[in-house]
Amino acid sequence: MGTMFERYQIEVEETLAKIQLPPKFLIQRYNNCTNVQECAQVCIFDVHKTGENSHKLMDPINELCRGCHQCVLACPKDAISLRINPEFENIGNTYFTPDRIKTLYFEADTGRVPVSGTGYKGTFVGTGFDRIWFDFSEIVRPTRDGIHGREYISTSVDLGRTLPYLQFDNNGNLVSEVPQVIEISIPMILDAPLPSKTRKPLQLALAKAATRLNTFVMVNAKDYFDELSPYHAHLIPRIVPDEIDDYENLINISRIIELDFSNNDIIDSLKRIKETHKSVLVSTRFPYDDQSGERAVALSKQGADIIHFYMTDDVIEQTPNRIKDVIQVTHSHLVEHHLRDGVTLISGGGIAEAAHVPKSIILGADAVSVGLAYQIVLGCRVCYGDNHSINCLLQIEPPDIEWAAQRIVNLIASWRDQQLEVLGGMGIREVRRQRGELGRAMFYEDLEAKIFGEQE
Amino acid sequence: MMQKQLMFQSPEVKTTPPKYSTTITKYEVLLDRAKCNICGICLETCPEYLGSTPLDYEAFATPEGYLRLSNPTASCLGPSCKRCVRVCPTDALSVEINPHYLALGDSRWTADLLLSTWEQAATGKLTNDYEYRIGMSGGGFDKLRFGFELNEATLEIDDRYDDLCLDTSIVLNKRMDGRPKIEIPIPVYGADMSYGSISLNIMRARAMAAKAWNTFTSTGEGGYPDEIIPYKDHIITQVATGHFGVNAETIKRAPIIVLKYAQGAKPGLGGHLLADKVTPEVAKIREVVPYISLFSPFPFHNVYSVEDHYRHVQLMKDINPRALVSVKVSTPIDVNMVAIGSYYATANILQIDGGHGGTGAAPDIAKKNIAMPIEYAIPLVHNYLVSEGVRDEMVILASGGIRTAFDVAKIIALGADGAVIGTSELIGLSCKRCENCERGRGCPSGIATTDPILMHLVQPEWGAQRIINLYHSWKRQWHYILTQLELENIQELRPKDEIKFKHGKCNHLIHLDYKR
Repeated sequence: MGTMFERYQIEVEETLAKIQLPPKFLIQRYNNCTNVQECAQVCIFDVHKTGENSHKLMDPINELCRGCHQCVLACPKDAISLRINPEFENIGNTYFTPDRIKTLYFEADTGRVPVSGTGYKGTFVGTGFDRIWFDFSEIVRPTRDGIHGREYISTSVDLGRTLPYLQFDNNGNLVSEVPQVIEISIPMILDAPLPSKTRKPLQLALAKAATRLNTFVMVNAKDYFDELSPYHAHLIPRIVPDEIDDYENLINISRIIELDFSNNDIIDSLKRIKETHKSVLVSTRFPYDDQSGERAVALSKQGADIIHFYMTDDVIEQTPNRIKDVIQVTHSHLVEHHLRDGVTLISGGGIAEAAHVPKSIILGADAVSVGLAYQIVLGCRVCYGDNHSINCLLQIEPPDIEWAAQRIVNLIASWRDQQLEVLGGMGIREVRRQRGELGRAMFYEDLEAKIFGEQE
Repeated sequence: MMQKQLMFQSPEVKTTPPKYSTTITKYEVLLDRAKCNICGICLETCPEYLGSTPLDYEAFATPEGYLRLSNPTASCLGPSCKRCVRVCPTDALSVEINPHYLALGDSRWTADLLLSTWEQAATGKLTNDYEYRIGMSGGGFDKLRFGFELNEATLEIDDRYDDLCLDTSIVLNKRMDGRPKIEIPIPVYGADMSYGSISLNIMRARAMAAKAWNTFTSTGEGGYPDEIIPYKDHIITQVATGHFGVNAETIKRAPIIVLKYAQGAKPGLGGHLLADKVTPEVAKIREVVPYISLFSPFPFHNVYSVEDHYRHVQLMKDINPRALVSVKVSTPIDVNMVAIGSYYATANILQIDGGHGGTGAAPDIAKKNIAMPIEYAIPLVHNYLVSEGVRDEMVILASGGIRTAFDVAKIIALGADGAVIGTSELIGLSCKRCENCERGRGCPSGIATTDPILMHLVQPEWGAQRIINLYHSWKRQWHYILTQLELENIQELRPKDEIKFKHGKCNHLIHLDYKR
């Protein structure tokens, strides 16, 4: 008897942030206010209210304001000023913008897909992934996958390598040694947390979240501690090559380990582990550079099951446009060498919103690793690890583990639902088939050159 | 054709001020109460009599804090004037950019565009106080200029341009199929917005304005309320995948039928009306259960090929032998193939809806990331149909992110015949783009709401006049553009041949990034 089919479902639950983001809008009443309360009449968001036992207006509740300007216009004394809160504008950085962080908070609070009215308010084109538009050509190529078929769209991906072909002997018996693959239910892996005083509870929360999501979380081997052991099936210990002997036990209980880029002996370590631990998948982690394509080919030939390329968050902030090129180049290089299915490509860096997951995949990654985004919803103020600013919540107070795990689960659940919308609109039934589907993307540079550029 | 256009009398402009006590001005004069000694010199020197409203003694009674000097009928001239600041003996005054001006708008619809659209809707006139042509999105329309715009810093567009003998009309049927050659005197009509996504009052306002301008508005996919039947000759009805409130009767009533295959703001996702907005009235007309979220499924499950598409168009033509059929599609990468398919499916009008369009509710991921901007899609389609030799049999209308009269002219110069306008009309009705349209009580301006109280914020007559005024100002701007380009007819603005930019220039247009 086979196992019962269980539909993959993520349980979301409203889990509000301990400290909310500063409100986007600030409302101030000048002294001209004569308490005529027109503002209280017109505001449908209850920003302006009178006290319970008084007829005097209370201070405006900025948290509820949606910036509709109705009170400003209705005030007969012109006594209201509505401004963008400078404190709100100061959160994040140029890549993790205040609006992006606000969206991340909504997703982590509720686990829902952000929906709103009116058109897109941003610029014509942005940086990095925002120079790509999706192509939803259901008109031209309808596939009957529609929105009502969403529950049948798969977001599972396989970690590991597959053989280009199978070999059989004269009796028809399989000769090839078929490598093991591990299926995860979402094309997202949680990266190890940045250094902070509260890393232990954070790592526990991540392990819980990864288990519930049926994916993996990285843990630096030197930071491993025993309370993590119940979750070892969803942990990827990250080990520096020279230290693999120190972590023999950890490697033994793991399904996947990751060798971190340090010096040239990564290939030797890779070979040694492959020999001594046949059932462990080995991932190798490198920063993206100009040689990423060649490196991927070399590593794949040496038996790496997974290649995890990443770009650190500060590099992303400085050169946001590079990430989309390096993913594409690395993927194409593997394709040209007929090795694309010989290795799993995980891309890390720059994943700041839901759309970046399908975009990374369209550019050629099998899955992405999510780092800074989940730290932000737990209170990180985007200061890049080592020199935490004073107001970083992760630094001050260890997070409640269950609370943190649920917020991470909510965030990822929302991203998965948005990925489903994208797959549904593209008429693609499973995320594996979205990989490298450049035909489902439109590039700003291409369109601009085609229409407005120099013509023959 | 010219004759007919000249016979059309533009509806009269009537000043229709907003129903607010104050306006949003670009600058504010702030008074530091702690420094002010109430001498009143500032009021005397102000050329706009800014503080001429009776002194607010109650406010002045507080000896500290800030007061804003204001007069609801005037606005501060800004840093170029600053007379009050100079004459103040105690340095109590400062002129600043108004914080709520800075908090208004976004990069596509800047505060200036909103304020100028409100101004045009109120008075039918244009002033140079605001940038009324472009936004700050940094691409597309906002980087395109007509050649004459580069020579002239400020354009003087006044009533001299009203009575010129210029033709801004377009014909909505170019096929020899025996169906009516419907002509509209302005190259725009109103976009599809359903009952439920907007209130009945707004639908009536738009219908009345469409009748006055002898153009069209559309019911969207949400039924055809009886209250707008008196305007039926100016109302397009939409047949979309949910078939909400669609029946043979509504199809027979309409002079133009839109088959909506996709919408630019959320292509491939279908319409979306959140549960809160499905009030019993909305549910009745849509023939559904109240307070349940409504998704229009996608795609049309009877259309999986060009042949299916042909039969679909024919079905509409069979039901209503007098109607034109418009096909509304979004902008995938091969939008040109869609266009040629619709040509062979005998559509009269092809409405191409770009990614920057508005919507009552859509996932943010869709609004931001999906579909090609209309500025790319129109040249692609135009060029392809020209090369196939069928461009002159199709009417191509652009929609999705067309905000101003200049945007309309630019998209015509890029190859469209005209445009379909949604958001701009709602801005004219004092929408502020606060992004709450999806909510139940929804709209603070009483536009995108089904709330029985909020909907009364907009009265149909008031709203209709605002839209009439807006188009009056737009028409004046088109006259101005035609005059500058030495054209007599807006149809001449549309290129006959393929659009090919060279050194950033093509067909009167200049793209600032490629200009050489």
